[in-house]
Formats: sequence, structure tokens, C-alpha cells
Amino acid sequence: MSFFGNASRSTTVTTTQADKDIEVADPPTDSISSISFSPQADYLAVASWDNNVRIYEVGQNGQTQGKAMYAHQGPVLSLCWNKDGTKVLSGGADNAGRMFDVTTGQSQQVAQHDAPIKCVKWIEAPQGGILATGSWDKTVKYWDLRTPTPVSTVQLPERCYTLDVVYPLMVVGTAERHVQIFTLTNPTTPYKTMMSPLKWQTRVVSCFPAANGFAIGSVEGRVAIQYVDEKDAADNFSFKCHRRDQSPTQKDQSLVFAVNDISFHPVHGTFSTCGSDGTINYWDKDARTRLKSFEPAPGPVPTTCFNRTGTIFAYAVSYDWSKGHSGMTPGHPNKLMLHACKDDEVKRKPGKAR
Amino acid sequence: MAKKKNKQIIRPWCWYCEREFEDEKVLMQHQKAKHFKCNLCPRRLNTAGGLAVHIQQVHKLEPENLPRIENALPGRDGYEVEIFGMEGIPAPDVADYKRRKEIELGLNPGTITQPQSKRPKLDNRPLTEDELKAQLEAHKALMGASDGTAAHANPESATGAVFGAPPQAYAAPPVPAPGFVPPSSASPGMPMPPGAPPFIHGAMPGFPGTLPFPPGMPPVHPGAPPPGFPMPPPFAGSPPPGLLPPGVPPGMPPFPPGARPPFPPPPFLPPGISPPPGFTPPPAGMVPPGMSPIPPVPPSASMSPPPGMPGSSPFVSTPSTTAPAASATPSAVPAPPPIAPELTLPDPSLAQTNPPFKKTTSLKWSDPNFSPEERRGTDSKYYFPKEYLSDKRENGQTALAISEESRGKKRARAEDYL
Repeated sequence: MSFFGNASRSTTVTTTQADKDIEVADPPTDSISSISFSPQADYLAVASWDNNVRIYEVGQNGQTQGKAMYAHQGPVLSLCWNKDGTKVLSGGADNAGRMFDVTTGQSQQVAQHDAPIKCVKWIEAPQGGILATGSWDKTVKYWDLRTPTPVSTVQLPERCYTLDVVYPLMVVGTAERHVQIFTLTNPTTPYKTMMSPLKWQTRVVSCFPAANGFAIGSVEGRVAIQYVDEKDAADNFSFKCHRRDQSPTQKDQSLVFAVNDISFHPVHGTFSTCGSDGTINYWDKDARTRLKSFEPAPGPVPTTCFNRTGTIFAYAVSYDWSKGHSGMTPGHPNKLMLHACKDDEVKRKPGKAR
Repeated sequence: MAKKKNKQIIRPWCWYCEREFEDEKVLMQHQKAKHFKCNLCPRRLNTAGGLAVHIQQVHKLEPENLPRIENALPGRDGYEVEIFGMEGIPAPDVADYKRRKEIELGLNPGTITQPQSKRPKLDNRPLTEDELKAQLEAHKALMGASDGTAAHANPESATGAVFGAPPQAYAAPPVPAPGFVPPSSASPGMPMPPGAPPFIHGAMPGFPGTLPFPPGMPPVHPGAPPPGFPMPPPFAGSPPPGLLPPGVPPGMPPFPPGARPPFPPPPFLPPGISPPPGFTPPPAGMVPPGMSPIPPVPPSASMSPPPGMPGSSPFVSTPSTTAPAASATPSAVPAPPPIAPELTLPDPSLAQTNPPFKKTTSLKWSDPNFSPEERRGTDSKYYFPKEYLSDKRENGQTALAISEESRGKKRARAEDYL
């Protein structure tokens, strides 16, 4: 037992308590908005509301070292890496998309919107890499990074809240619950436009690694699994998560938190959800089961990410504005944690005989 | 009977899923149906062991391929523990469950838990030297930078203590992590102001202020205050970036071989790019603007953020409150602290409402029209006014054009001042 008493819940057993998640040294000084692992090495890029992007190197045993840092003029809302891991691309509230070259250490502006850029995603198309940026100015723009003008612009029905790409699938979630699905062989016109299967504000979309569908999370503690192809529609379903009881005596699950991020495991195809309630869960969408639940973090979890091999799971614990300005207290935790993924947490269980 | 007394408070519960039941019979039925059911045939077994044997013998599955126990909490889905109703639950789990139950029911600790007797024993026992040391470390770590030198002298143990600490420890201001203040910063020339409130230390935006200077850096101005000390932001009195003493290589490779202090200040000012606001190049030994508890005294009074605005408190302020002002091209009009316009819907007729709930529910984010990030983006701390961009954008789309423009004006203004 620890010196300071015991954890409030025991659902996570000794195995997870024994090897605790590792906290990254030198975390950003303000809330973390987005994190992303390099597709080539264990470099973790971290975007923050303090206007900066930091890049950490994660070593064998989870030790971390700050490697580089560059700044936006406003809070940074999203970032991603390019395919070969040489560049970090980020978008922020300064309406700008910036590219940081890790080999030269220079950053430059590569994209521009009329409103903050909420999402940036790298598209690795056979013809070459393209940057997609989604903004609250109701557009998605594609950039080839060499010219100051976008390759093309797509008008969205509403402000872009979330965007994910697994080539050739791109899914954009906007305000007012619109969802637009693009096939990137024809990136300028939506392949399919639909309303979110969830009835509350869209928070996040995340494409299946197989690019045949996506998971969508809403502010109302719910995730829907949605296949693109109509013939798979029977496999669509949604489930509740990130809820808590009003009081310990009532089992009503009436406190409903937003689902902040969904990350798919690159190898096993299982996924994580995280919420404003500070919990993280691993799920298997095909068996429709929960694989693991984390010990609740001391604050909301705004963003999560697996590394390229799926052995490290990084998550941020910082304020996500879920309680508005008043929730922004000076001592609010602001941490970046690394969890070593064990195979049996993320691996699909041998299925039932069907 | 003592056991009976317990039963009034704690009902039989299932170890696998922590559900409570009226009596043990129902509990056993539940376990048979939910946890000890073979998913290959309709057979229900009485115990986990029975289920394992059944699956191995009847369905010829290798022991290592046994499916996990269904519907069980993570970690409790194994066959190692033989549970039958309430029998066989590992003692630590029973104790833990009771303790949580007490908390839930608001009972005094010990009402249910019997092994309480252990506690007083612990309390009365004189602490060993090691324990005292560990607690002292933990205390220091919690106190944060207020005793900066001590904490730094032994960074390993300091973080160790915080690390093992339970969540409430994190409510304390962030403690400088070991890597945060590398040993060199404790050099005699740059002492941490002793007794500086941990608060300020923790809230230091950006690393640069606390970083040791990268090798090859010119010495600090003799008069430069130690990091953490208020200092006017760069645009106020100091020479603009362009006039900074040379010596910073224009483009340091960020991932150089060999050891370097974490987060070398990024290669500042790549040619033609103005320093991003909120980022003060460390050569001058300055604190990022947001750190200055005193409103800066700018050359033209019009630029100063009025005292008392949120930005003047060290915590609330961030680069972005003052930063846009810093990067703003000087215009004749005074630049008040950016005030974000109310969020408006592009098309109010499309305003959304949340659908009703079937049961009483407290939805934590109940704004149907705007996301948390949009709301946050209009908070004075984070708001980045568009005007600062719009006039720049007229000058061209590329960053180069933008920054050269603003930098040129800044330099002109500084020359004025000189």
C-alpha cells in the first residue's frame, strides 16, 4: 500500500498498478490539445494551448527527452506527422498551418484559413503526400506544402470539428452533427453526406484501420461504430461510455461526459476512447466488448495516441474546457503520460464460436 | 455474531463484476449465468475451475486458449481464483471492497472493515529513518519549487515521490520535473530566487525562460535578472529581435547527436520569421511576456495592457494575451487587450438544441452549438484576434512576407525609441 492511502477503485488489478504509467518530463505549460507519434520512430509531438508544439523522444524504457519546440501565434489545436517522419504539421487558433522540419529545425507557414484550424491530417496518397486542414471557417483545404495556395478547397455544411484519414477514406465531422465521407481518389466532392448516428454534438471521428468505416464519439458519452458501405449497415451500433453515477448509492450513470478522442491500435484494430471524466477504455468493436479500463486520471483526458507499433499508448491529462472558464483552476493537472501496452490489453480475445 | 452485523451493511457481491445481490443464492445464480457459462454450449458450471475443466475436456481446448471469464472486470477474468458465491474472494479484494463501500455509504472507516486494527499499529510505530526521509522528500516535492534548490539537488527522489503519490498530489502546482531544470541552471550565477512561490515557477510558460543556455551562447547581460524574475516583454523596452546580440546560429539542427539540454530553444528566428509571440529568445535572460507580473512599461503607453486585466496575474496570463499585442503591428490606435466577440452562429436559424433525455441526466457539455474548443478559443487568455492576421494577409499569403512585414515595422518602432 502506498504512503498516501489507496486508489479509489480497485477494478484495475495489481498488474497495472505494479508498472505504473510513466509521466513525461517537461510537459507543456498549458493544456494539451493534440498528440501524435511519428510513423517512423518513437518521437511524440505535442500541441498545446500555450501556442507551442513540442517534440519528445521516447526511449526504450519510456524515458523521454525534449528534442525540439516551435511556436504558433495562437493556441495549437491539432498536429500530425508526414509519412517519413521528417516533418510535423500543425494547425492552430492563429488560422495558420505550420510545418516544422525536424532535420533543419525550421518551421514555416504552409496553410491559411479564415478561422482557426481545428484539424490537420497527413494524406499519403500514391501520387504523393498532401496535407488536409479542417477549419471552423467551414472548409477543408488540401495543401501540397510548396505553394501558398491550397490545391483545392471543399466547402463543408458547418464548422469542421474533427477529421480523420485512413487512405483512401476521409471522414469529416462538423458542427450540427453533419458527417461527410470522402474517398480520396476524388477528394473534392463528398462520397457520402449524412447526419451523425448520434444525437448530440460530434466530438471526434476516427477511421477504422481497414478504411471501411469509422467510430464517432459525441459529447453525450456515446460512441457509434459506423460502416461506410451500406451492405455492412447491419454491423453499425453505438454504445455508452464515459458516464458516472450521480452518487455512489445510485447506480444511475447520470453524469454524462464527452468522448474526447478515439485512437485505433495500429496492429490489432482495437481502439481506445477517452473522456472528460478522466477515464480511458480499450474496446473491441467486433466482439463488442471492453478490453480494459484505466484507473481514472485526476483530470479530463483530451487526447490519446498509439505509437506506430502499438506498444506505447500516450495520453494527456489536462483541462479540456468541459466546465468552461471556471474549471480552469491553477492547480489543474497537466500531464503527459505513457502507458506500456501489454498485448492482452489490446489484442482481440478469441471470439465466440459463431 | 459479528458476521451477521456485516451482512446488514454489505450485501453479497460478485467478485467478477462487483454487482450486489439480495442473497447468496441469487449471487450464485448470477455467477452461473454470467460468468461460469460455457460459450461453446449451453452448459453452466458452478465455478471457474469447473468451467475450465469443462472447456478443456468437452471442447478440447488447450488450457492456454481458454476464453477469459465473461462479463468480468478487467483483471478479474482469470481462472486462478476459485470463486463460489462469496467464498474464495481474495482477502485484499474483500478489504478493498469494504473500504469503498464505507466511503460510498459515508460510514466511518472501520465500521465494516475489521482489519482496522492494523492501522493504529502503523500510527504508533515510530517511523524509521528511511520512511522519514521518504516523507520529507514527498513533502518537499509537494511544496514544489518553494525550496527550489533542495528539490533540484535531488530531482530523482523528488519526482519519485510525486510519482507514487495519489491523484490528490497532482492538485499541487506542477513540480519541476528532473529534466526541467538541468543541473547547470543551479549555477551560482543564476540562482532561483529562494522562496519564489511555487505557483509562479510552475506556471512558467514556455521552457526557454528556465533553460540553461545552449552551448556557444554569449554570456548573459550582467544586469539580466534571473529567470523567473519579472522583466518587461521584449517589445516593451528591449531591442527588437533583429537587434539582439548575434551568436545564435540561425538554424540549429534540433535532433543533434550527443547529449544536449532538453528543449534547446528552437532555432530562433529562421531568416525572415519573426519570433512567435509568447516566445522570448533566452539570450537576453528574459521571461516570456506572460510572466511579467507588472504590466510592461512600453515606449508608447498606448500599447500597454491595462493593469488589472487578466493578463497581469501570473497564472491567468499567457503569451497569447499579451502576445498578439506584441506581434501586432503598431498602429495609431491603441491596442486594447483583445476581447473576443461573442460566438455567433453563422446561421442562427440553424441553431441546434439538445434532444430531451429519457431519464434525468447531467450532460457535462450541454452547449449544442459550440464545441469546448470554440468556447475556449474566445476566452481572453486564448483569444487570437483575426485583425492581427487580416492586415498581414493583405501583404501576401506566405509566412515570409507576413513576418518580414511585422518585423520591419517593429524595428522601425524600436529605432524610434532609441
